[in-house]
This record gives sequence, structure tokens and C-alpha cells, in this order.
Amino acid sequence: MWRIAGHLTRGLAMIWAVTTFTFVLIRLMPGDPVQVQYERLIAQGMTPDQAESATAITYGFVPHGPMWKQYLEYMWGLAHLDLGVSVESQGVPVADRVFGALPWTVLLVLSGILISFLIGVVLGVVAAMRRSTMVGHGLSIAGSLLHGVPPFVIGIVLAALFTRRWRWFPSGGHFNGDEVSPGFYYDFIGDVAYHAVLPAASFAVASYGGWLLAMRSSVASVLGDDFLLAAELRGLRPFMRFRYLARNAILPLFTVLAISFGLVFGGSIFIERIFNYPGLGMLLYQSIGARDFSMMSGAFLLITAAVIVANILADVLYTVIDPRVRRQA
Amino acid sequence: METGPNSLPPPLLRRCKVSAVLRALRRRPSRIAGVVIILLFVFMAVAGPWFYPDRLPYDADNIYAPISWEHPLSTDFEGVDVLALVVTGTRGVMLVAVAAGLVTMVVGTAIGLYAGYRRGRPDSVLMRIADFVLTIPGFPLLIVLTVTIGLGAWWKMALVLGLTGWGGLARAVRSQTLSLRERGFIEAARGLGLPTRHIVTRELLPNVAPYIATNLLVAVTAYIYAQVGLYFLGVLPLDTSNWGVMLNAAVFQSGALISPDALPYLLAPLGAILLLTLGVVLIVDALEEIFNPRLRGS
Repeated sequence: MWRIAGHLTRGLAMIWAVTTFTFVLIRLMPGDPVQVQYERLIAQGMTPDQAESATAITYGFVPHGPMWKQYLEYMWGLAHLDLGVSVESQGVPVADRVFGALPWTVLLVLSGILISFLIGVVLGVVAAMRRSTMVGHGLSIAGSLLHGVPPFVIGIVLAALFTRRWRWFPSGGHFNGDEVSPGFYYDFIGDVAYHAVLPAASFAVASYGGWLLAMRSSVASVLGDDFLLAAELRGLRPFMRFRYLARNAILPLFTVLAISFGLVFGGSIFIERIFNYPGLGMLLYQSIGARDFSMMSGAFLLITAAVIVANILADVLYTVIDPRVRRQA
Repeated sequence: METGPNSLPPPLLRRCKVSAVLRALRRRPSRIAGVVIILLFVFMAVAGPWFYPDRLPYDADNIYAPISWEHPLSTDFEGVDVLALVVTGTRGVMLVAVAAGLVTMVVGTAIGLYAGYRRGRPDSVLMRIADFVLTIPGFPLLIVLTVTIGLGAWWKMALVLGLTGWGGLARAVRSQTLSLRERGFIEAARGLGLPTRHIVTRELLPNVAPYIATNLLVAVTAYIYAQVGLYFLGVLPLDTSNWGVMLNAAVFQSGALISPDALPYLLAPLGAILLLTLGVVLIVDALEEIFNPRLRGS
């Protein structure tokens, strides 16, 4: 319990640091966009008062007055999940857009990580058991190669093969708006899954190698343990021995899980860009292209927050799975 | 001076290392291929641009030319030789990546050694910071920085990449230092009253060096890919020549995904990335065996 509380405080502290960072970043930028917009509005014939309040709505803080006051206003807005208003498409609250995009990215990231985790763990055990054979070497080399290659390479290759060469999957979007409307029924879920297959597969292929390598070295270190020998002497079936082995070897992987969330969320910008998938990464990319700084900081903030939350969840999961950690706490 | 694993006279120590390297290479010939690949890329980065004029000649009559001796990897949408683009695109990216790798190495090693050797409060504070650096999703941060502070200048890019990437190395060096400082030769050095500076630089550092070397290699490739990724997304100006610019043009602009003629233009930078990764993987494999003799059994 204390452990979770500690994580929460740390997570909040990190989110606070990141928000402060984005605040400073936007204020320190060459040609301060807040100032630029304020001046543009004045040039359009607004009175300073009107321009000031319009700018304040966009960025979530008043562009004039002492820095600490602006900062407090900004933080106060954030605490109420008010991320300002988009600069590009006037009047659209940033919070609506980013929270609308979040589920799609989470869908891709979670399914991608889950698939790659399962494949990587199984292949990792195989690679460890057969580590002096060609199969083991082949698996390890393929795993490290795919692990080392940046995710956008995988995305490009999959897109080229399965949306252009063979038109098996759609080349973009999250569902076909002409044919299905959002709702909890079979056709819609099927269509969403159909659109998510390739992006999720890109994540999975790009990251299973990491799991494979981690699992292989973990299994190799558990293999020599006495309890496995004892299990063998007791005449347990190979499947039971596999379970003993896997349950112990899998533990260190959960610490890797925490780190991989950051990488996968980061890679989502590429994957979503390549597959035109309207998630958070795509939103961040578009806002950067349009120099829409309030949207940009909102999307960046939410990506970071998602990674931090995922980290905390991974750690909680670890305490559930490994009783030893629970007892220490 | 004559304590710990460094007590061998220097020439003998050096000969051991050279022979260990040769042995590791001979055990699996694929590792020689790794060394050759990496040397090839280093050569491309250092000498590549000398073979070509500053502005590559383009030939509007020869767009997506068939593969020939003149254009071994075909030509792009302006008729520029693709091989020339791949070769000349190496230097800038690699220069920044190596500089960033050095920043990471210095910061990560210093913090890791200090935290692991001091322990206690500095350790926990520094490791909190390292965790923070590790948690912040690096790539989103990078593209946010490209539009806010601007990463056009090579040293800015190197500095930002290096400063966002030291978390993992610091953690690895720290955990290594923590276990090393309990070992006999460090205790002996402390018992002899040797100054901390000596213990850290002459006793600890040589023993964590293998981790640093491996990490440096992996970090440099990661930084190359981060830059290629930035150019590929098109958030950096596309006026230089490098693999990312090529990928951007191939995927988003010239429709190389659709027309088979343009395929070499898409495949060339992808192939370069794949080859570089293969080289790094093979060398890391060799390095791990050289530095960790226990792996040799398997």
C-alpha cells in the first residue's frame, strides 16, 4: 500500500516537472507564440483587454503580468484538466482532442505490447533451451536485429507489403466512418480491429526482440537452479517443469515492461504517421507541423502522463506477481 | 598502483586483450562480418563525401533509372544516384551520433560511478533523476524540442540526444559499481588508504569500461536512428542529404510504396539501417564474450 502511495507521489511529481518544463519551453521559445498571437489579435483590431483574454483562453494563462502568476494560472487550469484551446482550429478545447485521441493510441500500444510479450516470452524460452543449436542462434540474432532496428523501419515495410503490394489491410484511419458508426456491436469492433492489425503488428514486431533477449538470459540464469533439478528428479512432466521455469524466469521482465512503455509510446508517432492512425502521436505530429503549441504541449503532456501511469501499473503488477516484493513492503 | 586486476605489467595486459579479441572473432566468423560492416560505415562517414561533389548531379532524363553499373542502386525522383545519397548521408548523422554518444558516456559514467560509490542520499537522488530521464518518452520530447528550441545546429542536436539518453547507462554503471565496491580488491585499495580519485578512476573505471563500451555502441546507433526518424517525419528541414530525408521522400512524397520502379530508392536507406544494426548486433555479441568470459561456455 505504501509502495503504491510512494509511486503515486513520484508520478505526480514527475507530471508536475514535465508540465513546468513545457510551460518554460513555450515561454522561452524564439518568437514567443503567446506574444505573437496577442500582437496579432491587437493588429486585428481587438482592444488589449479582449486580446489578453482571448490569448489566455488559448494557452491557459494570461500572457502578461509576472511569470509566477502566469505559471500559477496555467497549473490551476491543468489541475482542472483544462489544457487551453487549439490555436489551429479555433475554439476546439485541447483536452477534447487529446483525450479523444488517447484511447486509440492505448489500444495500439496495449495490443502491440501484449502480442510482442507473448511471442517474445515463448520464443525466449525456446532460444534459451536450445541455445547451442542453430535454432537458438537464429532466434537470438533475429531477435536482436529486430530489437535494434527502429520501429519506423518495420512500419514502412509492413505498410509497403500489406497495404500497397497486397491490399489486405486498410492504409489508414481507425475505422471506416462510412460503413460503421461507433458503438458496442460486432461490426464496429471488427472494423476497428481490422484497422488496428497492421499498426499493432508493427509495434509487436518492433519490440518482441527485446522480450526474447530478456527472457533468454533470464531463463539461462534460472536453468541452473536447484528447484528445477528437484522437479526433474520428482519425475514431473516436462510441461510442469516448463511452468516452474517460466514463472520464475518471467519476473525480471516486468521491470523491462516499465521501460518499454516509454519506447513504445515514443514509437507511436512513427507508426501512427505511417498508417495515418488518429492517435496521440499523430496529433502531436500534426500540431508540430501546424505550430499549434497549445495542442502540442497538451499532447506531449498526455503522452508523458500515460507513460508514467503505465509505469506505475507495471510496478503494481510486479508486486502482485512476485510475493517476495509484497512481503518486503 | 600495483593492486587489483591491473597488477600485470602493461604489455602483457595488452597482449591478453588482443588475443582475447582475436579468439572471440575466430569463435564465430559472423563477428568478423560485424567488424567489417561497422568499418564500412565508419569509412563511408569519414571518406564518403570526398568521392562526390558537394551538390550531387541530378539528371531529369534518368528518373528511377534501372539498376546498372553507373547507378548500382538506381536513381531517385530527380535522377540523383541513390548510392551516392546513401554514402553522403552518413557523415552528418554519424558525427552528431558520436558526439551525443560521448555526452551520454561522460554524464552516465560520472553519475553512475558517483552514485554507486557514494551510496546513501546522493545515490537515491541521482537515481530518481535517472529514472525520470528514463521515463520521459524520448522521441516525443525530441520533436517538441525541434520546434521550440530548434535542433538545426549539430551541437544542439548532439547535446539534446546525449542528455536525454544517459539514464540507462547511469543505472548500469551504478549497479556494477555497487557490486564491485564490495569486492576484495576495492576493499584492499581502501584499506591501503588510496585516495578516492585513484580508486574510482584506476580500480573501478577499468572494470565498468566493458559496460560503457557496449552501451556506447548501442547508444550511437540509437542516436543515428533518432535523427533519421526526425528527418523521416519531416520535422527537421529536409535540405540536407541523409537516410531520413530519403525515407521521407520515398514514403510520403514520391509514392515509392506504390510504384515498383522507385523501390530501390525506398529499400536503399532501409537496407543501410538494417546492415548497420546487424553490424552492431554482431559486435556487441563479440564484446560481451570478450568482457564476460563466463559466457564462453555456452
